[in-house]
Amino acid sequence: MGIITVLWEKWVEFKRDFYKITMAAMISPLMYLLIFGMGIQTTSHGEPYLNFLIPGLVCMATMTGSFSAVAQNMSVQRLYEKALDQVMVSPTPLWQFILGQILGGSLRGFYAGGVILLLTLPIKTGLTFNGWSVLIMLLNGTVFATIALVLSFLAKSYTDAPRYTAYIITPMSFLCNTFFSTETMPGGFRQFVSVLPLSQTCAMMRRVAAGEGPGMAGFGILLSYLAVFSGIAVFYIYRKKNL
Amino acid sequence: MIEITNLTKKFDRFTAVDHLNLTIGTGEFFGLLGPNGAGKTTTISMLSTVLLPTEGEIRIDGVKLDRKASAQKRTLSVITQEYSMRQDMTMEQVMEYQGRLYFLPRHVIKERTQELLEFTGLSEYRKRVVRHLSGGMKRKLMVCRALMTEPEILLLDEPTAGMDAFARRQMWNLLRQLHSRGITILLTTHYIDEAQTLCDRVALIHQGKLDVVDTPAALIRSLGEFAVDEMDQDNLSSRYFGSREEAIAYLAGAGENAALRATTLEDVFVARSGRRLSGGRK
Repeated sequence: MGIITVLWEKWVEFKRDFYKITMAAMISPLMYLLIFGMGIQTTSHGEPYLNFLIPGLVCMATMTGSFSAVAQNMSVQRLYEKALDQVMVSPTPLWQFILGQILGGSLRGFYAGGVILLLTLPIKTGLTFNGWSVLIMLLNGTVFATIALVLSFLAKSYTDAPRYTAYIITPMSFLCNTFFSTETMPGGFRQFVSVLPLSQTCAMMRRVAAGEGPGMAGFGILLSYLAVFSGIAVFYIYRKKNL
Repeated sequence: MIEITNLTKKFDRFTAVDHLNLTIGTGEFFGLLGPNGAGKTTTISMLSTVLLPTEGEIRIDGVKLDRKASAQKRTLSVITQEYSMRQDMTMEQVMEYQGRLYFLPRHVIKERTQELLEFTGLSEYRKRVVRHLSGGMKRKLMVCRALMTEPEILLLDEPTAGMDAFARRQMWNLLRQLHSRGITILLTTHYIDEAQTLCDRVALIHQGKLDVVDTPAALIRSLGEFAVDEMDQDNLSSRYFGSREEAIAYLAGAGENAALRATTLEDVFVARSGRRLSGGRK
């Protein structure tokens, strides 16, 4: 299966860059945790702010981990190394290559989120993380890996990947229910931000962390993103004239 | 058999390949020659489905080649002009990746990797990361990678670019061996002597358009098999003759700085490209 080939390639990369990947996954969330969660002692929704922050940081780490794993890797492979040519000419069905990239990206996101979960484990927060949390993290990683894949097909230069992070990932990290609730935002903007994938992921994660069910609407929205961006990715890889 | 029909590739207003028609027989060693920017690499890129044609089509054994044509792609291997491979993988990993992309069993991947790396003298560097290899070693690795899958059709885009004379000869011998096994080879090269030595037939293309297709010998005959070079101050000019007698007769009347030699494919290339260029100026 072509999917296994892509996952093998991701595994080779992961093993080689294990320390770099782990450090990159940890540093930003750890800083936010120390500064906003433990340094500035405050409350949110009647609870310690740390309880609000941790699920958001886990989701943010998942998003960043999966997005950067795919966006940087694919942009470099396509535009700089030209290694994508090796895949294009091979008999591996290209939909399997796409699916492998999405799953590989999702697993990298899951790893990044998992590292944060492990780091926060010693803090007695009373938050719940269970199978739903794993599913939400994987789905979130899948969505952002797919978005990254589409953007990497659109990139004109391999330096575009960091730009995408600056334009998309950084604003989402701060606005989408990660550090503060979207409820306090003005009307139209709130509605826009609340349907963005990270907002949905954070909301679901918090519900699960509070011991409730995740809510199916969030899954519906994330799956819609997944369907749309996977469709675009498959269309590009089969139909884009100048890949 | 590779059939190329009306193949056209446009990038915005620029036409890189313009209604190219070619048929390459099974087991043929075919050369695609042309000056820089003639459309050789674009043609190879369309044959490897990295680029899709604006117009026209490519058929392999009667089946249209596109990105979904896995069975046709299974028969193809490409050595691109650029070092198109993961720079952060070791040689062994590059080979394994290729084998996996072609669904080869693990033991076959291992056996062929060892065999090919030994054959090309790269075996002792198999754990070395591609980024740290010399240009010649990368080129050899690309050959190993392409041969890993035992292709029926080999597309070679400037395969000896950057190689020293010794390595080039080694590559020629390798290509001859592959050709003798019945592999269809499509070669683009800047080294016209390479095409003359190796190819059964060559096509000259210019500004994306097909100029002429024939055997190197027939192309040379069409220009005249004998050439007289005359050095006039700073300018070297050549005249071509159908027979040695005609050439010798001309040489007798020429100045001291004239010499007789056999016409080469390069003469044909220069003569035809030059004619095209001067035709374009009018």
